[in-house]
Amino acid sequence: MTVFLNSLVSEWIKKSRSFADWLVWLGAFFVPIVNTIIFLVYPNQILKLHQESDFWNAIFYRSWETMSIMLLPMGIVLAVSLITQIEFKNNCWKQLHTLPISFSSIYFSKFIVLLVMLVQLIVLFNIGIIFSCIIPAVFNSNIPFPSLKLPWQWLLLENGKFFIVSIPLLSLQYLHSLQFKNFLIPIGAGLALVIGGLIALSWKYVFLLPFSYNSLFFFQTLGKRSPEHNILLWSLAYFVLFTLVGYILYLFKKEKG
Amino acid sequence: MYCIETKNLSHSFSPNATVLNNINLKVPHGSLYGFLGPNGAGKTTTLRLLLGLLKKQQGEIFITGKNLQQNRIKILKEVGSMIESPSLYGHLTANENLRLLQKIYGCPQSRINEVLTITGILNTGQKKVNQFSLGMKQRLAIAVALLNNPSLLILDEPTNGLDPYGILEIRALLKKLNEEHAVTIVVSSHLLTEIEKLVTHVGIINKGAMLFQDTLKALTEMQLTSAKTNLKCNAPEKALEIIQLFNHSSTVLNDRIILPALSPLSIAQLNKHLVQQNIEVYEISTLENDLETIFMELINKN
Repeated sequence: MTVFLNSLVSEWIKKSRSFADWLVWLGAFFVPIVNTIIFLVYPNQILKLHQESDFWNAIFYRSWETMSIMLLPMGIVLAVSLITQIEFKNNCWKQLHTLPISFSSIYFSKFIVLLVMLVQLIVLFNIGIIFSCIIPAVFNSNIPFPSLKLPWQWLLLENGKFFIVSIPLLSLQYLHSLQFKNFLIPIGAGLALVIGGLIALSWKYVFLLPFSYNSLFFFQTLGKRSPEHNILLWSLAYFVLFTLVGYILYLFKKEKG
Repeated sequence: MYCIETKNLSHSFSPNATVLNNINLKVPHGSLYGFLGPNGAGKTTTLRLLLGLLKKQQGEIFITGKNLQQNRIKILKEVGSMIESPSLYGHLTANENLRLLQKIYGCPQSRINEVLTITGILNTGQKKVNQFSLGMKQRLAIAVALLNNPSLLILDEPTNGLDPYGILEIRALLKKLNEEHAVTIVVSSHLLTEIEKLVTHVGIINKGAMLFQDTLKALTEMQLTSAKTNLKCNAPEKALEIIQLFNHSSTVLNDRIILPALSPLSIAQLNKHLVQQNIEVYEISTLENDLETIFMELINKN
């Protein structure tokens, strides 16, 4: 266990100051910054939200709309590919595979770092959402400060659901990013799948496509799509499947650097 | 028992392209083993197999007496390596590169400064590895290989990219590690001259086959036996008769008589007899093959 934890710490050090690390911060604050600017320029937009029965619910889903449909899936594709690319680009797989740790530790410590980065992004995004409501109120006296009685449990639950629908794409991207040295292949394939998922949203079997779950779940939550299929369960099933397939493919790679 | 021993190690990347053919590597404990061969001979493939980077297809690999397949992690705890170009994270500093490995090896943090001092790159501060020169990267890669205080070091062309002063420093460092700390070192190279002053044992590989494996002394003896004495005179046939009286084997090649290397005393005696028989001696010289020539001859024979 200590070996695994040390491997995890090592992976965390490795990703520090990498582009994937910056991408988490950029991705998390992009929508809140845009919203802040919009609320400063067009105060009516935030005033409308304040008139809603549940302000936090309204601002939360407004912010998640762009995030879940476009930015998060694309961010996952980019960040996962960038993390695995750290080894390819620096010619480091061979160094990593000559360390006295099991291949399982290598595979899962990298994978856990990616999952933690996703959690980090969601947490930062929520902090950004809160600030996108406070900052306009600081600069414009007509905008009221939001109630600081945040619905923590509800926030945790909703964010948890967005986390769950994101992990099949993360594990699928991890699976194929480990297979290709050429950065463009996993990025291209990942982005094509995400766009394909968006195009397929009106298809009746879209619930079978794990790369469309972010947007599908968002529309289900807003009641714009029928909730007849439990996307959360499908997400967990695909997550387990992709993680195991990725692990087996990684384990049986003939060349390890 | 050898530090590294392979038994009939064979490998191919495709059915018709055998890269290694029954390699029986024997690296004694405490030796500084030079693994030589031209580019594409199979050196790196052998080293990658020794480190478990390639899946073994045929044969057995034993390191410190343990089977690599069954004891990979235990063995790797005692091994430091550098295969081909340095494996370093360019966006991190030298210290960070070592720190992330130190966590895994579980060695004391003070070891980071020790290896940086040994390799002469202690003062790189916050400079990212991306901004290092090739020589500095090479030094850092050697520092990485030394981090876990290994009892076996496997280095693939470790002086690539170093300036002459750097090459001398690394040679001295490897020699010191070998002599004072009893570290067994395998160094691959395609140039014998580069490592002949360093190694105690030599293995020569070409086209996936082991051509020579013994001590450097044995290779040097081969060098002496392959030296030749050359004689040029006005009457080679008459000279041959006299040479036979001295029980020297000889051949004539392009008006020159070629003999096994003679001692200075034998040369003087032969010259005296030839002159006494009214043979005009134009030249007697001994040509010693250098180790590089022996190396090239072995490779060309293959």
